[in-house]
Amino acid sequence: MAKLMMFHGRECPHCRRMMPLVDRLEKEEGLILEKFEVWHDEKNADLMRSYRDILAPRCGGQLRTPTFFNPESGDVMCGEVEYERLKAWVKKNAAEGRD
Amino acid sequence: MKKSWRCFVCNDIHYGTKPPEVCPTCGVRHAYVEISTEEAQKIRLPSSAPFTKDDFRRAITDFASRNAFRVNADAERVETLLEGIFANEANHGLKYCPCRLSTKDFAEDLKIICPCNFLIHETYAGQEKGECWCGLFVKR
Repeated sequence: MAKLMMFHGRECPHCRRMMPLVDRLEKEEGLILEKFEVWHDEKNADLMRSYRDILAPRCGGQLRTPTFFNPESGDVMCGEVEYERLKAWVKKNAAEGRD
Repeated sequence: MKKSWRCFVCNDIHYGTKPPEVCPTCGVRHAYVEISTEEAQKIRLPSSAPFTKDDFRRAITDFASRNAFRVNADAERVETLLEGIFANEANHGLKYCPCRLSTKDFAEDLKIICPCNFLIHETYAGQEKGECWCGLFVKR
């Protein structure tokens, strides 16, 4: 399965709202998103910055949270979204990594 | 390029590409002389009182009252954002938006100091219920 990443901020309200949806999705689908808090962890921040050229053009020209990212395909989804949209994005990207 | 300017009458400091025609503090016309940024920093004495979250809340409420947007009515959301903004100032030097990330390019990162110029962002411009990316400010 493809590695899927979620960049989030501790004090980002969008991220706080997405977390329970991500938890629910992980349980329902039996998969895990790798989560990286970026304002209180410099290593995570540098990791997100390393993908700036891919992420920023898809997120209003900036690094924004939350950002969901498939590093294998380069697919990006940023912002707070409904559960069904999150699920569709994750399932599509998780499937892409299967043989 | 922006420079520092000092009113020769009241020592008001202005930072910009050109000086104000009228000093907003003492009202004198053509009062500004260019100075170095170092001199400007020395003239601006450190405040004896810290600028608290409540001070910032009052400042952005006043700022919004003069514009076509308001501070979000969701008090819990605003409190979370203010915590992040002040944590970012303490940890990273400036009041960076908690819902974006600095790039380490200082000029670029000036764009994410709260309040940012969200009027040009796709989440606000042309939207009936526009808001800044983090949702601190919402269209009236």
